[in-house]
Order: sequence, then structure tokens, then C-alpha cells
Amino acid sequence: MLNAYISHQPVAVMTAVNFGELKMSRNPAETLVAFSIGSGIGVSIYDPMTKSGGLLNFVLPDASMLSPSKARIQPYMFADTGLAAFIDALHDFGAQRENFKVVLAGGAQIIDQTAEFNLGHKNYQAITSLLKAAHLPVQYADIGGISLRTLRLDIGNGDTVIQTLGQTEVTV
Amino acid sequence: MTHVDDIISGIDTLRPIPPVAAQIMALAEDENSSMVDIADLIVHDPSITASILKICNAAHFGLSRQVHSVRDAIVLLGLDEIIELVLLNATAENFRDEPDGYGLGEGELWHHAVISAHTAKILAENHGFAARKHLIFTAALLKDIGKIIMGRFVAFSYEKINILVHAKGYSFSEAEKEVIGINHEELGARVGRKWRFGDQLIYMMRHHHMTDETARGNPETALVYLADIICMMIGFGTGMDGLAYRFYSEVLERMKLSEKDLQNAILNTGYRRQKLDKLLSLV
Repeated sequence: MLNAYISHQPVAVMTAVNFGELKMSRNPAETLVAFSIGSGIGVSIYDPMTKSGGLLNFVLPDASMLSPSKARIQPYMFADTGLAAFIDALHDFGAQRENFKVVLAGGAQIIDQTAEFNLGHKNYQAITSLLKAAHLPVQYADIGGISLRTLRLDIGNGDTVIQTLGQTEVTV
Repeated sequence: MTHVDDIISGIDTLRPIPPVAAQIMALAEDENSSMVDIADLIVHDPSITASILKICNAAHFGLSRQVHSVRDAIVLLGLDEIIELVLLNATAENFRDEPDGYGLGEGELWHHAVISAHTAKILAENHGFAARKHLIFTAALLKDIGKIIMGRFVAFSYEKINILVHAKGYSFSEAEKEVIGINHEELGARVGRKWRFGDQLIYMMRHHHMTDETARGNPETALVYLADIICMMIGFGTGMDGLAYRFYSEVLERMKLSEKDLQNAILNTGYRRQKLDKLLSLV
């Protein structure tokens, strides 16, 4: 497993997952939260059998295209290197991929953002094709638009909550 | 007094930039000024000396030895970094008053200002505008100062603004203008005028969302705009306005910036984040 954060906190705690970070937990009292997701995407994966999971908050689609050397320093900035590390970390927890509940939130766009520079769309394309290649179906995705989102994963019960600023939150 | 006059009068509630920082901003804008002129100003100002020494000697700033004078600090950190510390220190106090109305958390507008200023500076260095980097840094740092005053008016009109943005395709600043009569970038430019900033700095603050077509051909303003949209895409310090601003691909094309350049700039901003978080806790 890479140097992902693993919580061992014994009491109720909310842990922020900043952009470019992956955090894992099997502490039932912990909630992982990625605040203010813009064009990046928050990926929540949870295994209800082992009651463990994590949140990846990546912002760029493809390390191999941009900079494999920088991806070695910041693997969680990217969909490809971030997801690979995430799946390894879940396996280290003993989580079984057939149980995985996958939720995505983010991929927002600036108004009139043209295709070439449309990072939100490219991030969504990248993560869905990587998940498909890994045979991991997406249970719920809230993608696009012009608003920031917050994604929370409650490790105790596996609830994944998406809050878009100014709207009612959605629990998956 | 009209509604807009009432908003503009809110400028008087801000704390003006200290004179020495304003002089540094003016020198940064003047192509004929030298770094020596700026260093002289800094070294001879007692209040700046005190704040620089306090920041540099804080344990978390991570210098290997005690700093006893501004000259020492310049030798250790370089004049560029000292100029930035002076500018950050001069503007921080205003940003501590959170603008309600934009849905920002504690310190988020300040966080956005600092990260976008650093991003703009790195873009300037990497894309042929190193000589103008202090001006570009300053414009990016101050571009949203109008939001501090606008916040409560935005809160009051939020429903109307929200409908224009989400149902009618307006950008957030177009909706501010339509509903309130003035937007945060116009108000920011008025702050600049009141505080006697130079014309170019005011222009860059006024046009950082590029709604004026002519501004899209101004490379210094373009770099401030790019830093702003990078922060929006990352989700740094934007609130209810989110990504509701317009994207002009022609700005990137004129600057000869590719998709890869944009992504690299985002990656570099992420890379510097920890360092900047430390700095934010000290200023």
C-alpha cells in the first residue's frame, strides 16, 4: 500500500480530505469529508462487509499524459494513479471488490468551458473508464454543473452524502 | 444616496493599505523602478521591519537561524519573498472580515487571495512576464477585495442572483450587476482608486473576469484571470458563486497556453499548497 492516511482514532471524528489526497478508514466513529470539490472529483468507495472505505479527491485526469515523475510525489492528484492506489489500499483492508459501493461527486465546469480545456468533463471520462476497466460499477454520480460540492463518507454505516451549495443534500 | 452609492460608501469601512506597502505596489508597477528602490523602502520602515522579523522568526517558518534585521531576511529568503510578505501582511487584515453572502467559510476568501496570487506569480515567471510578477501577484491578491463590501448585499439579493445564474445562464458577476447595480470587480476597482493605486493595477482588478473584450488581449490581466479560474476549478475559496464565471478560450490561445500548461499550473498549485498553508497561519 502507498503512504495513504489510515485513521486509528478511537472517538467520533471528522477528517478532511483535501484535494490531491486519499484517506482510508475502518474507524466506525469517523466521517471522511472532501469539501469544495470543483472540477476535480471526489471518489468514495466503501465495503459494507468489512465496514471500511476511503475517499479520493483528485483533480487531474491522467498522470501518464502530464507528468509520471510528479505523480510519484503526488499520486492522488490524478485519476489513474489515485484510483490504483485506492484499490490497493482497500485490498490491504481486506475489502472485497464485489462489495464496493462507489459514489462520485464533482466535475463542475466554468461557464462556456470549451472541450479542450473542460477539466471537469475530462476528469469524469477518465474516472468512469478506469472504474469500468477495473469492473467497478458506479452506484451514484453527481457530476457537472457550475457549483461546488462536498462529499462525506460515514465509515460507521457507509452512508455517502453529497451536498451541493445551496441545495438539499443527497444521501446514498 | 442611491443604493449603489450606499454600497460604494462601504469602501470607507476597509482599512487602507499602509503607505509603505502602497509605495511598493507603485514601484512594482513602474517599469523604471529597481529592486534596490523596493529594498530601500522595506529596510527603512520600522513597522514593516517588525512584522517581517516576527514572521521570519516564527518556529514554523522553518528558517535555520534567528533573523535579526530585514537585510538578514532578504539574504536568507530573497527580496522577492520579502516583497510578497510585505504585501500579504498589508492586506491580510481586511480579509479577516468574512464576507457573508458568498457562502464562504472562515478564512476562505483570504486563502483564495493568497493561493491565486502565488499561482499568478508562477504563471508570470513561466510564461515570459517575470519582470511584471509583483504587479501580477498584487492584482491577483486584491482582485476580490470588493467582495468584502458586497457580501451583505449579495446575501440580501441571493435568491434573485441565484435564479439569474442557474436558470438564465448569467455569470455570477453579471447577475450581481443586474440585481445590485454593481459587481465585485467594479467595486474592487473603486477601492483601488480610493487608495490611489496605479492605473494598471486598477485595470487588472476591474477586468479580472474578462467581461470586457479588450482586456482579453492584456497579458498581465490574462494571467490574473487564469490564476482565478485555476483556483475555481480546484475549488479554492469560492463559495455560492462556485464556477459561475465565463471561460474564454481565446485568452489561453493568445497566451499560447495549451491544455497541458493549464493542467501543469494546477499541479504546481497543489504542490505548493502545504507551504502556503503554513504561510497563511503566520501572516
